[in-house]
Amino acid sequence: MELFVTGIGVMTAIGNTVAENFHSLKVARTGIQRSAKLGLMLGEVSFSNEEIIEKLGLTKIDYSRTTLLGMLAAKEAWGKNEHKEEIATGLISATSAGGMDRIEKYFAQAHHEGMDTSRRMTYENGRTTEGIAKELGIKGYIGTISTACSSGANAIMHGARLIQSGRLDRVLVGGVDPLVDYNIKGFSSLGIYAEGICTPFDQNRKGLNLGEGAAFLVLESAASLSITGNKPLCLLSGWDNSTDAFHQTASSADGKGATLAMKHALKKAKLLAKDISYVNVHGTGTQNNDLSESAALRNVFGHKMPPFSSTKSFTGHTLAAAGAIEAVYCILSLRSNAIFPSLNFSTPIKATGLIPATSFREKVEVKHALTNAFGFGGNCTCLIFSKKM
Amino acid sequence: MLSALEPSSEILHPDYTSFIPARTRRRMTDGLKMAAVCAKDCLAQIGLEQPDAIAVGTSMGCSLFTKKFLKKIVSFEGGLLSPTSFMLSTHNTIAGQISLLLGNHQYNMTHTQNTLSFEHALLDGMMHIEEGQNNVLVGAADEREEELYNIKERLHNQDVILTCGASFFILSSHASKTNPIKLVDVKSLGLVENVKLKVLQLLKANDWLAKDIDLILYASSHQTTKKELSELFEVGQLFDYQRVSGLYFTNSAFALNYATDILSRGKHPVEAKSVKKILICNNIIPENLGLMLLEHC
Amino acid sequence: MEELTNTLKNQIIEELNLEDIRAEDIENDAPLFGDGLGLDSIDALELVVIMENYHGVKIPNSAIGKEVLVSINSMAEYIMQHQSES
Repeated sequence: MELFVTGIGVMTAIGNTVAENFHSLKVARTGIQRSAKLGLMLGEVSFSNEEIIEKLGLTKIDYSRTTLLGMLAAKEAWGKNEHKEEIATGLISATSAGGMDRIEKYFAQAHHEGMDTSRRMTYENGRTTEGIAKELGIKGYIGTISTACSSGANAIMHGARLIQSGRLDRVLVGGVDPLVDYNIKGFSSLGIYAEGICTPFDQNRKGLNLGEGAAFLVLESAASLSITGNKPLCLLSGWDNSTDAFHQTASSADGKGATLAMKHALKKAKLLAKDISYVNVHGTGTQNNDLSESAALRNVFGHKMPPFSSTKSFTGHTLAAAGAIEAVYCILSLRSNAIFPSLNFSTPIKATGLIPATSFREKVEVKHALTNAFGFGGNCTCLIFSKKM
Repeated sequence: MLSALEPSSEILHPDYTSFIPARTRRRMTDGLKMAAVCAKDCLAQIGLEQPDAIAVGTSMGCSLFTKKFLKKIVSFEGGLLSPTSFMLSTHNTIAGQISLLLGNHQYNMTHTQNTLSFEHALLDGMMHIEEGQNNVLVGAADEREEELYNIKERLHNQDVILTCGASFFILSSHASKTNPIKLVDVKSLGLVENVKLKVLQLLKANDWLAKDIDLILYASSHQTTKKELSELFEVGQLFDYQRVSGLYFTNSAFALNYATDILSRGKHPVEAKSVKKILICNNIIPENLGLMLLEHC
Repeated sequence: MEELTNTLKNQIIEELNLEDIRAEDIENDAPLFGDGLGLDSIDALELVVIMENYHGVKIPNSAIGKEVLVSINSMAEYIMQHQSES
């Protein structure tokens, strides 16, 4: 069964729309800057919560930033789609922070006032997804996936499987995470937050920078297309989730989980490694991830590595949104026959010697684009998007 | 039959040491330990070493670790923050730790849709069976959440007791010889307006009639669910499972466990009649509806 | 010194949640990583936190960490040396 991508929406530190993101990727302009407030390198979305509320014309104002970012990106992807009784439509969003931005404010205030925080307000992930669903008028299958930094890619995979199983005809899938103190402090405590800008796949990489953002895709079956009349952007042809089973946060030296995910996704897409034209790597810029992912890429592609880049050098690591944002970038690569650069690279990793694309290239025939997303718990996901032949 | 919970009821803990090695256990809260024990016990029951996929539902994940790290952040006065509670606070810690414990490299998913988290995981597992896998481990776990007091208060539901729990299951492509129970269908529906209509649609889709169902295990935090269900079923067929499970976000996983126990014994928990078909109706949050159909075959 | 090594052992048991281990089970010169207590890279970060937050001694980089976070003795020696400096 063919799975069509018919809509995309994205907002990140390099733009609030698909067009703005593409432009920044083309002119190699990063969105990571030193935050005046925290003194850290961050990839912040330019819109404030108030601006988003105004743009969407919302009457309620106490939304989590997760819901707000998600609403905007989901609306861009959804476009002019309409609800019809005969098209079973669902929403799957991914988030790791959920309503954490609001709970942080509450905790800080409660601590300040010496209040008991045990009966605190909620940070349930599911509620942020329900907020997005309400805004788009989607009822029925409303799901949230939370597998840390691979969540967004898993939401896309899950939507594909629901359509394949015949349970849905059309599904809005994606991920969203705002910048929250919790994650910034957390990654800092793990000693993997870079003081300067991140340098993915470089021998001298010093860690990651966090970013925020959201991205959504509309997936449809052929039956749905015949009713909606939507024009397919490309196909989602392969997917897999496999587990590293090595350590809660660290990836194995031989990249076992990542290798399995890529190999199985290729098999699912009925493709060989040599068929892949572009790889958007997970590439966080930490010592451990990039070394493990390099080993996995070598396991899969051998010495014929296709052009690849880590667009986290533009957006920062957007956690649960990353897999969805990078899926949108793969679709843009297919649509525009372009390879996006990896920024801040100078020296290949000694052990694997992989060299990413460092400049924007056009007029390259991109037929199949592969993207990786890995999360805590050894959670490894790979997606493959293909041109409709 | 299980007796109803009392305010003085205490949470039972098995001997975790015989299931989980000390090195793994030291990074586990009670919720995590419960989930790990259930998962291992499930596999042991059918003599299976590795499931083909793992899907877990949890509303709050490892909320005890989350709270611990949050408290550290707000009371932070310089120095360093310790990373362990942060590292273990992602929602997929439960599923991830099970994969580590088993050395399992297969599919590993975590669904977090508040009171419907388990139904999502169960549906995920069911799709894996349809896709050709043989044995899938599905389950749910949530820790005791003081936050639920707020929900209780909001929903004016003061009778139900706050608890926590974990339940795991193996879904197989072939019927078990000793315990042949079929999961006929599972549905997870958000922003639902008409519970009765959704139940009828599910029954129709599976060619079931309301009168064929021997027992309806339901959970609700408001009066309307029972009223709507009683328009479809005899009141005597309705059983509020929260009386035995207590309230936690994924207690519908307990209901499935309870239902399989009832079906294997074939006896109604209260009345003297046989039970072959069960509907589980999770409507704890009024606009969220989880439905499961089970049959002894 | 013995008081310090005992304090360190109890802090490690507490912070690393080593529920099955008592202070007297930990040898002063036994390796903390690998075959010894079986600690990993995350525990190393926890040890750095213990050194800084409880004993006011910073571990400036991972190279020094590798020399200091070897055994209870090496940690205690480093603390004594650097506390007297400040």
